[in-house]
Amino acid sequence: MEKRIMRHPILGDSPERKFVKFTYDGKTLEGYEGEPVAAALRAAGVMTHRYTAKKHEPRGVFCAIGRCTDCVMVVNGKPNVRTCITPLEEGMTVQTQYGASYEGGTTDEAI
Amino acid sequence: MKRYDLIVIGGGPAGLSAATEAAKHGLHPVVFDENARPGGQLFKQIHKFFGSKEHKAKIRGFQIGEELLEEAEKYGVEVCLNAAVIGLYPEKEVTVRIGEEVKHVKGDAVLVATGASENMVTFPGWTLPGVIGAGAAQTMMNLHHVKAGEKILMLGSGNVGLVVSFQLMQAGCEVVALVDAAKRVGGYGVHAAKVARLGVPFYLSHTIVEAEGSDCVTGVTIAQVDEKFQFIEGTKKHFDVDTICMAVGLSPMSQLLMQAGCKMEDTPGGCVPVCDASGATSVPGIYAAGDVSGIEEASSAMIEGRISGAVIAEYLGYITEEGKKARERELEEALEALRKGMFAPENRGKLLEKTEEGIDISMNLLEKGYVAEDEIERYPGVTHMAGVHPVMECTQNIPCNPCQDACAKGCISIGKNITSLPVVVPGAECIGCGMCVASCSGQAIFLVDEESEPGYGTVTLPYEFLPLPEAGEKGIALGRDGTKVCDCEVVSCKSAKAFDHTNLLTIKVPADMTMKARFYKKGAKFCQA
Repeated sequence: MEKRIMRHPILGDSPERKFVKFTYDGKTLEGYEGEPVAAALRAAGVMTHRYTAKKHEPRGVFCAIGRCTDCVMVVNGKPNVRTCITPLEEGMTVQTQYGASYEGGTTDEAI
Repeated sequence: MKRYDLIVIGGGPAGLSAATEAAKHGLHPVVFDENARPGGQLFKQIHKFFGSKEHKAKIRGFQIGEELLEEAEKYGVEVCLNAAVIGLYPEKEVTVRIGEEVKHVKGDAVLVATGASENMVTFPGWTLPGVIGAGAAQTMMNLHHVKAGEKILMLGSGNVGLVVSFQLMQAGCEVVALVDAAKRVGGYGVHAAKVARLGVPFYLSHTIVEAEGSDCVTGVTIAQVDEKFQFIEGTKKHFDVDTICMAVGLSPMSQLLMQAGCKMEDTPGGCVPVCDASGATSVPGIYAAGDVSGIEEASSAMIEGRISGAVIAEYLGYITEEGKKARERELEEALEALRKGMFAPENRGKLLEKTEEGIDISMNLLEKGYVAEDEIERYPGVTHMAGVHPVMECTQNIPCNPCQDACAKGCISIGKNITSLPVVVPGAECIGCGMCVASCSGQAIFLVDEESEPGYGTVTLPYEFLPLPEAGEKGIALGRDGTKVCDCEVVSCKSAKAFDHTNLLTIKVPADMTMKARFYKKGAKFCQA
């Protein structure tokens, strides 16, 4: 089902923006340039952003304003990036975070 | 070390208002905000605000945000974005992280307007992706134009839970239930009624047992709770949902004030600084305004900010004591008006049984979210007469009066007391313009013609959904409880700039249904195309 709100009774038509490509765990996805990475992922149906270190539990967006840090992912190789406040750019690599790194990464510090 | 006359921490309604007020008096304030955009949470508020003209009533939150930004710019307020303040010291020194750099600055005065953060409740499965804060839902749908979910359960019946539920439906999501462990609806009755008439069931004295799903939310189970908030056996109810939204209160983000050594107090509403009416804390030169000093609303936060701005201007010698006092008096009057009525701070948690007019308060509204048919006739806004006339289902004393100014014909009166229930003025002639319907922030005014033609009448209701119904379209009319009362036909759907996106939908119903039909539904679902 369409997750983007193209027409809104109060806000009107969704603003015209430029589509850019990015990769999510190696898969190419599209999103709007400048929107939060988390918004682009949500529109593409991605719910799980990371797995916790100790119990390997899934986590996703919770506060969406950069406060709770539940939505952190590995973005352009850098872990712990708050995807809900990080603007999407062309060619970004976004990876699910496991503990404090991407899968098979070397950082094993628990968060 | 760079020195400012005033450092404002937080560029939301309180902070921006304070900085603008101070700048008007000649100060050169800087506002640090950790976000990429200023305005705090105002830009997510797409509903019309309450109050009177001076409180910017009937203007939508995001438009108030734009006005505030324009004003701040006009007076030369410096707003520094992506700037997270990480330290505040008693000497009014501030450390702020901008990008990868930490800067150390000093203010002659510092105003903390950091707002609040959302509370949460825990239950098995609460960490699953799909469990989100109500603020997150607003951010996603109203700022980023992405649905917060398809099928959603809302936990919390305060104003945030009610307003966000309505906004979720406006965005095309389905709200399957509104749940609260409390016995009674916490927010404004008019907000509850708006949601209830869409058909959203209210489950008071219920809370979440668990969220289901392995990788993300796939369902939720709720159950009734007793007086001690313990689950009652045999009361479990299951809903298939993909999202659970939590609107269970806010807590002041007062950590910086604590760090600065301000005297703090623990209140039921969180840890807040001890401060006087102007926001002055126990540390000279450090002030607090808005939610950080006690949870209220954006409208009061803006006035609190302005008061602090004027007081700081006097503290630093930019205005005289007389000048300050005059400004304070004016602003405090506006603030006091907002703090009146059923939802005034002193009435928090109390069960009021009568309105200020001595009318019984609708218990059905408090327990189910809508006023029952046998209760509605007791309110002064609900009258009967020949021809088209306003029916105002405004049943609680809240500080709000745009309806009385909206009617050019003087049909509606609230009087001097801003919390009084609106009254239909006898003898005044309604021309059916609908300005009152569009002006009511609570969407509680309807135009009713009890018999426009033999056997039939019309109801004009506020309609903020897409697609807009077309004249001649057939559908069903819903009652206050969101269930079908009769079949109906769309007479017209009017939009005008003055209505500000509140469309006026007129439906034709059997004459005996004009006091029952309060919403319109075309198909089986509310989702937009």
